[in-house]
Amino acid sequence: MTAGSRELVLERVRAGLGSVESELKSDYANSPRLYTQRGSMNVNQKLALMVERLREYDAAVVECRESALDESIAAEIAGSGRRTLAAPEGLPRQWLASSVEWRIDHDLTNQQIEQVEGVVTASFCGIAESGTIVLHHSLTEGRRVLTLLPDWHLCVLRASQVVETLPEYFARCAEPPPLATYISGPSATADIEMTRIKGVHGPRFLSVLVVRDDGSERA
Amino acid sequence: MNHPVRESHPVLDPRTAAPFPEAALPVLRNAQLRKNVAHATDVIQGKRNRLVAEKTDWLELRDAASALRAHVLEHLAEYLEQFEQRCTASGGVVHWASDGAEARAIILALLREENATEVIKIKTMTSVEIQLNPALEQAGIRAIETDLAELILQLGEDEPSHVVVPALHVNRSQVREIFRRRMGLEDLQDDPQALTAAARTYLRAKFLSVPTAIGGANFLIAETGGVSVVESEGNGRMCLTLPRTMITLAGIEKVVPRYRDLEVMLQVLARSATGERMNPYTSIWTGVTPGDGPQRFHVVLLDNGRSAMLGREKERQTLKCIRCGACMNTCPVYRQTGGHAYGSVYPGPIGAILTPQLMKLEHAETLPYASSLCGACYDVCPVKINIPEVLIELRAQVTDRERESERRFFDPIYLGMRMANGAFANAGRFKAAQRMARIALWPFTGRDGWIHKLPGVGGRWTMTRDLRGLPRETFREWWEKRGKERAR
Repeated sequence: MTAGSRELVLERVRAGLGSVESELKSDYANSPRLYTQRGSMNVNQKLALMVERLREYDAAVVECRESALDESIAAEIAGSGRRTLAAPEGLPRQWLASSVEWRIDHDLTNQQIEQVEGVVTASFCGIAESGTIVLHHSLTEGRRVLTLLPDWHLCVLRASQVVETLPEYFARCAEPPPLATYISGPSATADIEMTRIKGVHGPRFLSVLVVRDDGSERA
Repeated sequence: MNHPVRESHPVLDPRTAAPFPEAALPVLRNAQLRKNVAHATDVIQGKRNRLVAEKTDWLELRDAASALRAHVLEHLAEYLEQFEQRCTASGGVVHWASDGAEARAIILALLREENATEVIKIKTMTSVEIQLNPALEQAGIRAIETDLAELILQLGEDEPSHVVVPALHVNRSQVREIFRRRMGLEDLQDDPQALTAAARTYLRAKFLSVPTAIGGANFLIAETGGVSVVESEGNGRMCLTLPRTMITLAGIEKVVPRYRDLEVMLQVLARSATGERMNPYTSIWTGVTPGDGPQRFHVVLLDNGRSAMLGREKERQTLKCIRCGACMNTCPVYRQTGGHAYGSVYPGPIGAILTPQLMKLEHAETLPYASSLCGACYDVCPVKINIPEVLIELRAQVTDRERESERRFFDPIYLGMRMANGAFANAGRFKAAQRMARIALWPFTGRDGWIHKLPGVGGRWTMTRDLRGLPRETFREWWEKRGKERAR
């Protein structure tokens, strides 16, 4: 069934396009790309915008210096009042605050992940213009399910990972990632009378710890 | 498998839907529905306009998006093959469906292999296009819609009326009634927060237990074989992550050449669709990743009339559409009628050009006329589809068809046009026609020189406007008279 239809569909597509003169067909390389590729902000402006946009989405944002990272994570966790947290396999050991019980993801089941109250991960990139955090699901960012089922996501974002525009993120991808999740604020819906409601299915609470690792001044 | 499937509640099917003007009438009398539609479209449009205005490179983004989509369509076969090859290399299985019936059959066969009795679904308009849910129901498989709006419609036995916010015609108290009845929640309040929480609880158990999911695709990435789904709620991520098996149904036009092209498409899509700088969640996955997400992944590439559109130069641009819905929110016709009057899962201006092309034209003949040709849809379209141009082209096709049809000799408009054609073709006949029209119209012409009401077909014109009565003397008559007077 499928093999025949494959040829049929492709044949129809080619037949349809037969009317397009091949010299009139556009070239991918010549496609116009005159939109803003690189932002114009300095490091401080860029970070300030990232923080502002995250807060617009009701994400909690805390900033710290690289040297104070471990204690800042511990403080965030303590402040959250949560007791059981999940962590990706590759999360730095020193990030695992001793005040809570950790479930390290060496193949946790969905049910086990559903039981924890939150998750701590690193991230791949932050996009200031839209307040977006990009995960490529590496060993420090965790499997996709890990940042989905728990109700709270504490995400560590380094200033050096923050870009101003979306195209700058793509410029940072040496290779396209097989898996990626772009998160712009916590889960939300506006399906009922266009009223924005936070937290439909994904984590209802997103906290971002912005680490000043690039010598930029503290805002 | 070629006949339409039966269903327990009315399905948006252009083959059985009433003509647009007929279907629009009850809506125009439904004040509540019009209020709901006006509110929703106002809100989205306001947000969209604000966010487009702040984007200094909007026009350049639009140019890039438009050129990329046009480029893909010109090279569609190559990009589809590339996508298939890369997706397969990453552990996905690619299926090809020439029409809706075949897509349904493929999906049903896959579900039987899984012994599925239930499936969780991400919102996909393409599945409504092929009437998947009724087919699943018939096969004894329960489809559970997990997008909040789709859940409201499914539980309320209703149909989508917008491609982005499908339940925009339903207000909060109507949602409460539906949830109360179908979820057995007697004390449910009607604030959106409580209603959303009810949906979260209702669906959570399903996400964790149902092993098979069906969804659509916003983009198929040829370079990597990856698929992207853009959403807000996280129900998509749930379906893409928790089940054992994922089935993606995607129109063949959904391809983009490279991963990096998302930098264009996502920027224009989020702003146009929901008036956001970026939607809350965008997922990208490639085939199967060991240890992460579904370990069986199928993509069904659906033609269903799309390839036929490629051959027509003006109509081809219809396939550039990325389903943002901006044309609906801005359309003065859609804003009055809402989506159901279009009798298709694709309503509004894009639906008025897409539906007649996906279906046989005769099933949607009135849709190309469901527009004032004001061009607002073209202005907001992020991929620059010249919808009015295609509407006019389709109107011409409708007229051509009518010219061939048997019943034309009973159609007063056709007969009138024939007569006008005869009269305009010859000066003598034209003069005679003028004289006759003057006599015929005289009884209907008021003292003010205007015709306010005509009988028969002419009444359709005077229903909403007056017509200037014919003057006692035409210019030609005056000219001839003047010539004779001078000659004297």
